[in-house]
Amino acid sequence: MNIEHTPIISLKNVSFSYNQQLVLQEINLSLSPGKFIGIIGPNGSGKTTMLKLISGILTPQKGKIQIFNQDIRTIPRKKMAKIISMVPQESYITYNYKVKEVVFMGRIPYINQWKGETILDYQISRNAMEKTDSLRHAEKGIHQISGGEMQRVYIARALAQSPRILMLDEFASHLDLSYKYEIINILQEVLKGEVKCIISVFHDLNLASYCSDQLILLNQGKIEKIGTPQEVINNHTLKKVYRTKTNIIQHPELSIPQVIM
Amino acid sequence: MKSLIKPEKNNLYGYSNWRYKAIFIITIGFLAILIIGFAALNFGTIAIQPQKILSIIWQHRTDDSLDLIIWELRIPRLIMAMLTGMALASVGGGFQGILRNPLADPYILGVSAGAALGACSAIALQYITGLYLVHILPIFALIGALISISLVYLLSRKKSHLPMADLLLAGVAVNFFFSAIITLLLAISRREIHSMVFWLMGDLSAASWQKVSFIFLPVFLGTLLLISSSLELNAMALGEEEALHLGVQTEKLRLRIFFIGSVMIAIVVSFTGLIGFVGLVIPHIARLLVGPDHRIMLPVSALAGSIFLIICDTIARSIIAPTEIPIGAITALVGAPIFIHLLKRRNETDEY
Repeated sequence: MNIEHTPIISLKNVSFSYNQQLVLQEINLSLSPGKFIGIIGPNGSGKTTMLKLISGILTPQKGKIQIFNQDIRTIPRKKMAKIISMVPQESYITYNYKVKEVVFMGRIPYINQWKGETILDYQISRNAMEKTDSLRHAEKGIHQISGGEMQRVYIARALAQSPRILMLDEFASHLDLSYKYEIINILQEVLKGEVKCIISVFHDLNLASYCSDQLILLNQGKIEKIGTPQEVINNHTLKKVYRTKTNIIQHPELSIPQVIM
Repeated sequence: MKSLIKPEKNNLYGYSNWRYKAIFIITIGFLAILIIGFAALNFGTIAIQPQKILSIIWQHRTDDSLDLIIWELRIPRLIMAMLTGMALASVGGGFQGILRNPLADPYILGVSAGAALGACSAIALQYITGLYLVHILPIFALIGALISISLVYLLSRKKSHLPMADLLLAGVAVNFFFSAIITLLLAISRREIHSMVFWLMGDLSAASWQKVSFIFLPVFLGTLLLISSSLELNAMALGEEEALHLGVQTEKLRLRIFFIGSVMIAIVVSFTGLIGFVGLVIPHIARLLVGPDHRIMLPVSALAGSIFLIICDTIARSIIAPTEIPIGAITALVGAPIFIHLLKRRNETDEY
């Protein structure tokens, strides 16, 4: 079988409920490598839950999730950390670690507690900072840099983890335009390397359409539609999911749909 | 162009080798403890000259009264202070890390109130029954502490996990409940109130080799165990979910730190009473000095806690000798200004 067609991630009949309330039901999904995958949907449609299920933070009550054809229940946490890394939406770092120390934390799953880290761990951390243009802040305290810079540090930390799958939760929600472009470029660059797949939750449909090769539209815990942005973002589907009238135009330079007010 | 000529051999890509840093700092810390500890032996009701102390330490003679003062009173007390400071500061640092809360201290999860209730009950019983219970008071305190730890654990555990907020709330509740009972005990006590209050404020005056031998191993091993979780504690600073994503089993980590810390503190406070401030502030001072990386911060905390408590105890027992001041009062009196000074300095330079 061609490796390109083997799914990296597959969900079979996955259902998850939280406090007896069904958050995701009967999700079937298989994702192929080399793609930027966007998860969209209204608030409470189960987007973030889906990320947490795939990364094994949450365990589904029903169904099976496989990563590289292995059931994730059989993958130990530490090994999982070497496969998937996560860029959180927002997180507060309790103490004022230096930027380079925060990035270095990405190496924690690789470090043997008794032997300690090696020069390779330093090198990988440094590379991650270079890739994300955060090297110039290396010596600064994490509480001393701006939100946009912080987001790049988080991405650097996630990259230092040398993941095969990179996950992001609304990475651009509070970034201004230049930072958005910059981070999208970094991510697209990353996808050419060791990272086989990027999965991101989006709130902003236009950004999702701009970034993603494939979109998963969730609605009330079910997959409403999967496909290219062209296939997913259209007036009919959006009206059904968001219950509001939308206007969709084509991007003037790229052939992707954009939603306008 | 300069970077091209730079030798590549020691290139750590902008990082520094924490092992060398740790070894260096620990060596300095131990030397400081030796020097300060030796200086502390001079003070007391009877001043003894340093040369005399050296010769006493060197040639231990049991028929000399000064020898007795040094070997049976001051040295065990010094070691007691050292171990107590080490335990309080490293557990404080560990709890602040695992709870992601800079206001956490070793007593936050209810150990102190349980131990205090145990100790006060023993004192009250002694007066009521006339039995001599002082020598087994630590057992009462330890039982009290273990009861409160178990209560906090049972109250906050949910099925298979231990949520952080519930743990803190259970700790606060148990603390308040036990403290209320202590207040009641104090209110109905007459003669014994002085010994109870003294115990509540911390007291190292009853140090002995026997007590040192009880707490030495738990404190030393416990501190090492806490330090060995440093990397995972660093990951916790990113947040619980981030730590999970880094492969840290946060539930197990929390349970481990909680039990090691609580048991250490339970054993120590059973012998020393409640010494405040050290466990809360020394970890912050350590962070201000060497940064928040637990691999460096925790050992520095432990050593700084030792040094700090040796100094405070020396002040407590010598400043108006032969009367002793409760050490808990000294720790805050001495520590608060130092802490405020460091905080101000940090705010001015904006780095730590």
